[in-house]
Amino acid sequence: MRHTVCIAYYMKNSSNHSSNPASTDVFENLRLELRRGCLIIAVLGQLKTERYGYTLRKAMEDAGLPIDEGTLYPLLRRLETQGLLVSEWREEDKRNKRFYRLSAEGKRIFKQLIEEWENINASLEQILTEE
Amino acid sequence: MELIERYLQAVGFWLPKTQKRDILAELSEDIRSQVEDKESELGRKLTEADLEEVLKQRGSPIMVANRYLPQQSLIGPVLYPIYLLVLKMAWLFCFVPWLAVWICLNIFVPSYRGNAAGNLIVGTLHGFWMALVYIFASVTFAFAVVEKYALKSGFLEKWNPRKLPPLRDANRIKRTNSIAEVVALLAVCAFWLTFMSSPVMVNQPDLKIILAPSWRIYFWSILALMLVTCAFSMVNLFRPYWTRLRATVRLFTDGMGWGLFAWLCKTNLIAEITLPNVAPEKTMHAANAINWWMSLSFPFIIAGGVLVVLLDMYRIVRIKDTATPSAGGLAALVGICG
Repeated sequence: MRHTVCIAYYMKNSSNHSSNPASTDVFENLRLELRRGCLIIAVLGQLKTERYGYTLRKAMEDAGLPIDEGTLYPLLRRLETQGLLVSEWREEDKRNKRFYRLSAEGKRIFKQLIEEWENINASLEQILTEE
Repeated sequence: MELIERYLQAVGFWLPKTQKRDILAELSEDIRSQVEDKESELGRKLTEADLEEVLKQRGSPIMVANRYLPQQSLIGPVLYPIYLLVLKMAWLFCFVPWLAVWICLNIFVPSYRGNAAGNLIVGTLHGFWMALVYIFASVTFAFAVVEKYALKSGFLEKWNPRKLPPLRDANRIKRTNSIAEVVALLAVCAFWLTFMSSPVMVNQPDLKIILAPSWRIYFWSILALMLVTCAFSMVNLFRPYWTRLRATVRLFTDGMGWGLFAWLCKTNLIAEITLPNVAPEKTMHAANAINWWMSLSFPFIIAGGVLVVLLDMYRIVRIKDTATPSAGGLAALVGICG
C-alpha cells in the first residue's frame, strides 16, 4: 500500500504535463528514473517464489508494474551476477526454461531494501502531506 | 518461425561469445511463450505479419543486444566536462593565433595576396583542419588513457577545500604581479641604459655590429615606455583595482610597445657587420639576410600586438560592464531601501 505513494503521486500529476512535449520528455525521464529502483525491489519481491522469465513478466504486469523483456532479462542477469538470484535451466512443458529465485544473500539484501524503502516512503508521505 | 530464428541470429551477432548461447536460449524461450500466449488469445496460428509485429515490439536486434552489454564509454561522465573544457581551450589556442597570423599575412605580405583566393582559402583551411584533427585526436587519446587507468586511482577524490582558488574579482590587480612588473622593468631599464644605448651594439676586435640610426629613436621610445609602465605598475601596487583610465593607459602602452617593435623589424636594423678576414660584400650580405628575416617576422609581431590590444580592450569593456548595476542588483538595492 505504502509502496505506491511515489508512483501514484506522479501519475496523478502527469496529466498537467501532457500538452508541452518538452515537459512530457522531462516527466518521462523522471518517471523512468523513479521506476528503475522500484522495479528491482518488485522483481526481488516476485522471486521469493521461483519463476521463469515469461511468467515473471506476466506477474509483474498483473501487479501493475509492466516491464519489457529488454529491461527484465538484463536486470535478472545483473542481479544474478551480484549474487542476489540463483537460476537453473529446467524442462517444463517440453521446453527448456530458466528458473530464477532469491538466493540467501538476495533474501538478506531484499529485507534491507524493504526497510530502506519504508523509510523513504515515510519521509515522502510526510513531505507530501505538508504541501 | 524462421523469422524468429533470423531475429535471434541478428541479436546474437552483437552479443559476447561467452554469454551468447545462454542469452539467446532465454530470449528464444520468451518469444515462443509470447507467441503461444497470443495464439491462444486469437484462437489461431500467428501469421508472418503477426510475428513481424511481435518482433518489432521487442526492438531492433542491436538495441536488444545492447541492453545485455556493459555500459562502455571512451570518456565517462566524470571526465567529460573537463575533456570538453580542454578541447575548447586547445581549439581556442590554435584558432586565434592562426587567424591573427593569417589576417596579418594577407594584409602585409604581397605574395600571399597574389594567390588566387580559392587556392589561398583551401590551402590555409587544410593546414588549420589538420591542426584541429591532431588536437582533437591527441586530447581524446590522453583523456581515454586517464579514463582507463588513472581514474580508478581516485585522484579526483583527493582534494582539499582550502586549496580551492580564491573568489575571482575581475577588477582586482594582483599585488604579486605588480611587484614582479616593477622589479623586472627596473632590471630591464638598467640593462637597457648600460648595454643598449649605443648603435654600436658589439665592438670587439673580432666582431663589430653597428645598428641603423633608427635604433636611437627606438632606444629612447622604449626607455620612455618602460619608465611610464614602471610608474603605472607602482600605482597598481598601491591601488590594486583596474579603473577605466588605467586600463586605457595599459592599452596605450601595450599598443605603443608592440607597434615600435613591429616598426623596428621593418627598418633594416643591422647597418654594418665587420669581421676580420671576411670581405665587406659577404658581411653586407649577412646583414641584409638578418634584416630580411626580421622583416618576415613583422606579420607575427602585428598578430601578437593585435591579440594583446584586443585583450586590453576587453578589459576596458569588462570594467564598464561591472560598473553598470544589473537589473538584479537594482532590484536588490530597491528591496534594501524599501
